[in-house]
Amino acid sequence: MKGFLDLVPSSAKVHKKQSRMSVFCIILSVFLVTAIFGMADMFIKGQILQAQSENGNWHIGIRDITDEDAAVLAARPDIKTVSAYGVLNFRGDQGYTLSNKDAAIFGCDEAMVKDIFEMLSEGAFPQAEEEALVSDNAKETLGLKTGDQITVKTASGEELQFTISGFATSTANLLREDSLGVLLSTEGFRAICPEVKNGNASDYNTMFYVQLANTRHIQNTIQDIKASFSLTDDQISENTKLLGLLGQSSSAFMMQVYGAAIVLFVLVLCAGILMITSSLNSNVAQRIEFFGLLRCVGATPKQVMRLVRKEALHWCRLAIPIGVVTGTIVVWLMCFVLRWLSPIYFGGMPIFSISIPSIIAGICVGLLTVLLAARSPAKKASKSSPLAAVSGNANDLQPVRRAANTKLFKVDTFLGIHHAKSSKKNFVLMVGSFSLSIILFLSFSVTIDFMKHALTPLHPWTADLSIISPDQTCSVRNGLIEELSGNPAVDKVYGRMFAYNVPVVVNGETKTVDLITYEEKQFDWAKNYKLSGSLETAQNQTGTALIVFEAENTIQIGDTVTLNLGEKSSNIEIVGMVSDCPFNNRADVGKLICSEETFQQMTGESDYTIIDIQIAEGATENDVSAIRKMAGGTYTFSDDRMSNSNTRGTYYCFGLFVYGFLVLIALITIFNVINSIAMSVAARMKQYGAFRAIGLSNRQLVRMVVAEASTYAVTGSICGGILGLLCNKILFDKLVGFNWGDPWNIPVAELAVIIAVVVIAVILAIRGPIKKIRDMSIVDTISAQ
Amino acid sequence: MEILKVQNLCKTYGKGEARVDALKDVSFALEKGEFAAVVGESGSGKSTLLNCIGALDVPSSGSVTIEGHNLHTMKEEERTIFRRRNIGFIFQSFQLVSELTVEQNIIFPILLDYRKPNAQDVKEILDMLGLTERRNHLPNQLSGGQQQRAAIGRALITRPKLILADEPTGNLDSKNSQDVMDLLTQASRHYQQTILMITHNNNLTASVDRVLRVTDGVLTDLGGNANERFS
Repeated sequence: MKGFLDLVPSSAKVHKKQSRMSVFCIILSVFLVTAIFGMADMFIKGQILQAQSENGNWHIGIRDITDEDAAVLAARPDIKTVSAYGVLNFRGDQGYTLSNKDAAIFGCDEAMVKDIFEMLSEGAFPQAEEEALVSDNAKETLGLKTGDQITVKTASGEELQFTISGFATSTANLLREDSLGVLLSTEGFRAICPEVKNGNASDYNTMFYVQLANTRHIQNTIQDIKASFSLTDDQISENTKLLGLLGQSSSAFMMQVYGAAIVLFVLVLCAGILMITSSLNSNVAQRIEFFGLLRCVGATPKQVMRLVRKEALHWCRLAIPIGVVTGTIVVWLMCFVLRWLSPIYFGGMPIFSISIPSIIAGICVGLLTVLLAARSPAKKASKSSPLAAVSGNANDLQPVRRAANTKLFKVDTFLGIHHAKSSKKNFVLMVGSFSLSIILFLSFSVTIDFMKHALTPLHPWTADLSIISPDQTCSVRNGLIEELSGNPAVDKVYGRMFAYNVPVVVNGETKTVDLITYEEKQFDWAKNYKLSGSLETAQNQTGTALIVFEAENTIQIGDTVTLNLGEKSSNIEIVGMVSDCPFNNRADVGKLICSEETFQQMTGESDYTIIDIQIAEGATENDVSAIRKMAGGTYTFSDDRMSNSNTRGTYYCFGLFVYGFLVLIALITIFNVINSIAMSVAARMKQYGAFRAIGLSNRQLVRMVVAEASTYAVTGSICGGILGLLCNKILFDKLVGFNWGDPWNIPVAELAVIIAVVVIAVILAIRGPIKKIRDMSIVDTISAQ
Repeated sequence: MEILKVQNLCKTYGKGEARVDALKDVSFALEKGEFAAVVGESGSGKSTLLNCIGALDVPSSGSVTIEGHNLHTMKEEERTIFRRRNIGFIFQSFQLVSELTVEQNIIFPILLDYRKPNAQDVKEILDMLGLTERRNHLPNQLSGGQQQRAAIGRALITRPKLILADEPTGNLDSKNSQDVMDLLTQASRHYQQTILMITHNNNLTASVDRVLRVTDGVLTDLGGNANERFS
């Protein structure tokens, strides 16, 4: 032993049990921070991958600048890539067609295809004005190959000839709109642009997509570019999603999200500090006699403080690596699950990735928290009187100022409550750590509402492929359903007949409605959206229908609606109401859902307006092509797989993050409560021994411990509940109210879940110490250290 | 009338070479109202004997009966209730409940029994202990002597058949030690209380009825010798 601080490892060996609890608290805090930061880091990485793949790896878009300015911009060292981009017939309203199908004509530089979108799937970027890249869906439907000639017809009947230089991946928009993509070089694009010949870039409605070299100070770079090229705010647009994920967005929405993230970070930090402070406080309180002894033999208060601090750091040596490793393992598990859920997007994410920010955060927060948390107990220890070591009062945990009132409760129950409240500081710390768990849970639960609003979850009826009547009439032949259902690549197929803008009279009022049919499957899915009435009646009884809820709608269940279909008018009875259906229309047009039989009776139509297909798992592109062929060329064939998969990927990623996080908080709550109660009981072990000697039975002891734990739990739940709801409301207003204007409601279910978790944790927490005391002889309990 | 009967009591700790025989075949009995002291060197087995008699510890063999009830054959709950009602404990470090006042500490065993204390009994004990003025004080507001008097009151309140006192004066100065001894003697005479006290202060054995000596786990009955002095 070279110095008095060498006492620390020896003391740790003797007080193994108490040290273990403190080490456990530090592990929990470090784990919490590492896992949360790691998960957030992983979530952001995943989202960046997805955003780059979906919207392109560009940071800002600039319009209305000259080609010369664009060239000067591209030469700047802080700019990585600049690509011009223009499009014709994007929405299918400018009359460009390829083999009688709508064609969107894009014009861009090579960088756009290679660096910004990575969409070149075969061949090379067009090197001449007459060369074109064609989208993969055009390749499949038209059976094209590199070197083939294609002819694009313009609205004016002009024919534009191109040689295919290669193929590009189809965008989600092309697939959804069932249009084909033709991608030209900027020069080629400008050569065919109508009514503009040799004009400026702005004349071709060109946008320059810019990828910055340094993503750290994007806003500064934007300001600099604005100043250098005298650009207005309208000329510059940001890739909000990507910039937001890079922490560089200036959009008001992202500012709210950052604000929420800071609140959550502070909460996590507070939880860590409270957990460790509570543990160290209890640890020091139990060993006040030991510190008194040190003072007796000549240690100065400063030396005692150093000793406590060294002790805390000694625990860190073991606890921080364990916390960091377990946190990282949880992040790895999350990465694994994410890759498994959505291999398309997260396949590139390494399972065993190391999140440096999370590890640094774990270590820093662990060390800082321990040093901060050790301050107060260290002071307390340094103040311990040498007399305490030699008098019998050293074991008094805290000086008591007010006597217990034994008239209100039974003495055992009251002593339990009194134990909890006897030390104000300990009580505040315990209640604080209980409350913080609840506050954390309620605060983070807002992200579920955020997720549900920000990402439209896929409905059960969401189709991968749709065969749609081009003129929106009942013209998709009925028999196609049967043919398609025989195809093994088709999982589910279902059709809907539509009668649009049907004039109706209900309760003397004239209105307009859209009449839609459901078949068995759709009626079945609608059950989850039922608000009132009977879906079965609408399904099985002709002459009945369901109404879809809309704020402006006045049609109620029980109303009879008279439909005027051509010259014929027929009555339909409303027997139920559902909250949602697979399509949207104008707010002033009602939506009625009836069975196919009812529809046939009313309209005489038996063919569909739309047939939706959900494809079987493992279905290949060839299978989809076969389905397309079955449908034939007369209908619009909409392929929503890519946009569905985008939504699904984001939803899974966010869902995993949010729910994983909530589970983590719930688990931390359980561990924290168990540890806190165990420490509290351990601190009173000697006293319990004396009580048992005097005649306190085990049952009374249980009641005493339960009363103490319940006091913490009830007070913690009340404080945590109130403050948690406050945080919930603030975050809800920031994340949801700000964007979607939803009113805040008390999150009853979340509150119930976390309080149930606390109650379960308390039950689990008191089992261990009680069993331990029960198994210990009274003599051992009295002499327990 | 025989209150306490200890027969062939043995207590062994550890195994093999680490085996320690703390008590070796100890047998003795105490009559009602008898005030006995157990003396012996530190580590001789005095506290082990007291713990086994009070059923705080389990003997390796032998039996302890209090008014015919064998404590070690009882179930835990039954034994606790028996101890609460029939055995009073006085500890060297008082072991008062810091949250309770002097009066509440004294009536604590009755409260644990969910009974209402008799106000007259409480008053009588407080008077006897000289704590009436301090009845509403908390333990940390009392001197060591006053705390030990409160602990004696707690041991007396249930009128137990036996009081076990483990070095009751160990933390007190000579004046307070004498006060405590006087109180115990008074209780023994006044309430016909059987008391077994451990001490290594030989001067204190002057006021007891009987002295038992433990040496290396073996008990020797030195008989009733109020004026015996040990060198």
